[in-house]
Amino acid sequence: MSFFIQSFIEGVALGAVYSLVALGFVIIFKATDVLSFAQPALAALGAGFICYFATEIGFNFWISLLIGILLTGVIGLLVERTILRSMVGEPVFSVAVITIGIDILIRVFLDDWIGDEPRFIGDPFTTFGNFGSFNIGNFNFKYLEMTGLFVAFVVIMLLNLFFKKSKYGSAMLATSFDQEAALVQGINVGRVFGLAWFLGGLLAATAGFFFTGGFNTLTQLSFVLALRVLPAVVIGGLDSIPGAIVGSLIIGVTQSLAGSYQYTIEDLLGIQLGLGFSNVAPYIIMFFILLIKPDGLFGTKEVERV
Amino acid sequence: MKGRIDFYSSYEQEHKIFNNNVKKFWALIGLTFSVYLLVTVNDLWLFLLTYAMLTSIGAWGLNIVSGFAGQISLAHGAFIGIGTYTAFVLGGNISNNLLSYELDMAIWLPFAGLVPMAFGFLISPVTSKLKGLNLGLFSIGVVYFALHIFQNFKTVTGGSGLGRKSPDFILFGFNFEKGLNIFNLYLDEKDLIALFSLLILVISGIGVKNIARTKIGRAYFSIRDRDIAAEAIGVDLLKYKASAYGLASFYAGICGALMFSFTGGVEPNQFNFVYSVLFIAIVIIGGAGTVLGPLFGSFFFILMPTVIEEFIHYFGLFEGSVSFNLAQIERVIFGLFIIVFLIFEPRGLWGIWFRLRNYFKAWPFSY
Repeated sequence: MSFFIQSFIEGVALGAVYSLVALGFVIIFKATDVLSFAQPALAALGAGFICYFATEIGFNFWISLLIGILLTGVIGLLVERTILRSMVGEPVFSVAVITIGIDILIRVFLDDWIGDEPRFIGDPFTTFGNFGSFNIGNFNFKYLEMTGLFVAFVVIMLLNLFFKKSKYGSAMLATSFDQEAALVQGINVGRVFGLAWFLGGLLAATAGFFFTGGFNTLTQLSFVLALRVLPAVVIGGLDSIPGAIVGSLIIGVTQSLAGSYQYTIEDLLGIQLGLGFSNVAPYIIMFFILLIKPDGLFGTKEVERV
Repeated sequence: MKGRIDFYSSYEQEHKIFNNNVKKFWALIGLTFSVYLLVTVNDLWLFLLTYAMLTSIGAWGLNIVSGFAGQISLAHGAFIGIGTYTAFVLGGNISNNLLSYELDMAIWLPFAGLVPMAFGFLISPVTSKLKGLNLGLFSIGVVYFALHIFQNFKTVTGGSGLGRKSPDFILFGFNFEKGLNIFNLYLDEKDLIALFSLLILVISGIGVKNIARTKIGRAYFSIRDRDIAAEAIGVDLLKYKASAYGLASFYAGICGALMFSFTGGVEPNQFNFVYSVLFIAIVIIGGAGTVLGPLFGSFFFILMPTVIEEFIHYFGLFEGSVSFNLAQIERVIFGLFIIVFLIFEPRGLWGIWFRLRNYFKAWPFSY
């Protein structure tokens, strides 16, 4: 039982970090109708910036963390302003393919800088406690994972506040409801688009730090971790913020439990599931949920007219 | 009236593969020139040209499902993988730890198309329920699922990081390795494979053209433009979506089987997400929904990196300042051209060609 609880909590912590990327996806999709495949690259880029400032330039780690996250937000803003603004109103899929192009471009330059060796991003999390982990009773927790859980919680609360109380939050909600009507009401839709990408960049970079911090290290394959958020977004529904969080938690827990109980499942089914099965398990859940609810658990059903 | 190229007196005439003699003439010239080119160029360019020809077969497949029928598929790489491994199992040299039957190409090539086709039909009930982005995301799931199986099904694929060797080109007992003497011309294995690819390319091209100009194609176009309206005018959505997936997977399988038999072997990680995106990019840059577009796109994509590299070396540009290698240049071009084409020329290379052709049709009297 304690084994189950341990891997469940790890799954929740993983899901919380996933939810940061997933929120970026959903905010961008809701506000601008763009499904951003550039999010994984932005996450890796954020980690890259943090690593660059902390290890190569030698700033204090916390300052470089802040600079890295903000810079990634600005890159997101620039991507929207320079490339995607001219694609407003084009078919959704064409724009999605453009973001794949952006993703590839960012990653070519980033991979060239990262090189073949994994890079520690210079955070102090490895030095806390016993190799970055602590024990409560029988359970072993990593400082980084628990911080990720806490930060994700705080960020979700802040975003909630932002959408409920602030002027720009309401402007974003209005834009996501109907772009033209929002424009007529005097909302600067262009600025809302920029803001959505800025937020998307911030969230991706924050998640990027938790993906690569501690002993995880930054490698050329770090972006894959953020790409695993895709089934979470699909499960929750592309246009639902609560959906993104719930989807991410489902994916995180699934991945963690599938990893822990792979041998048990193999015994039950009598077949070999193979190496890396825990990374594919979320997609299997996604298949089933898409079969039952094609718009995801919380997504709004699209009304179609001839 | 017969000599006028843009005058048609019946629909049959307009819907012919070559609806006027000018096109027929240029197609013949093009074909002759291609054969000449394949026999004479050096090994590097022969490799690239063959590779591009085989890639365009796969791109045509994706074009059927995404360009003609409008069903977004990011899972094309997975079907190419299924076709490849079908060919490798049926045609591969017998060994201890790998499943192989060492059959003739006359057997493994058709099956390399038919098996993915069956898988295409198999997933079509699910895919035809989904629309738009959800369909795209579902197909990403298919890619990762297939990739996982390729990596772990060691008796078929050789396993991740190892891969397996390709079958030999033995058609009706004739081994391509032996080469062929025609008159005074000796054709070695590479030339023969290139010419065989050209043959398959022409057959596939005629197939795509035939789909586009007949009832099936018109049904696909109507589904692409508005599926509800298509259903209202009596197009059986389920049937045509399934056939689109089936045909696309058939092309994908043929492409994969020949391509990786030609390159000598394959490692399972080849069929990753980026590989599927490559085909999307080829179709979009070439011109989605057109017959010639994917052909242009493939040649553009396969030849461009080497052309640019040769260019850089020839003029000695960026010596020492840029450390990018060929693969990186390839990916920069890949990313850049996806963005540039989608923003500035959504009709792709075909659009550019179309305008050029129409310009020269009326030249010098453009009005």
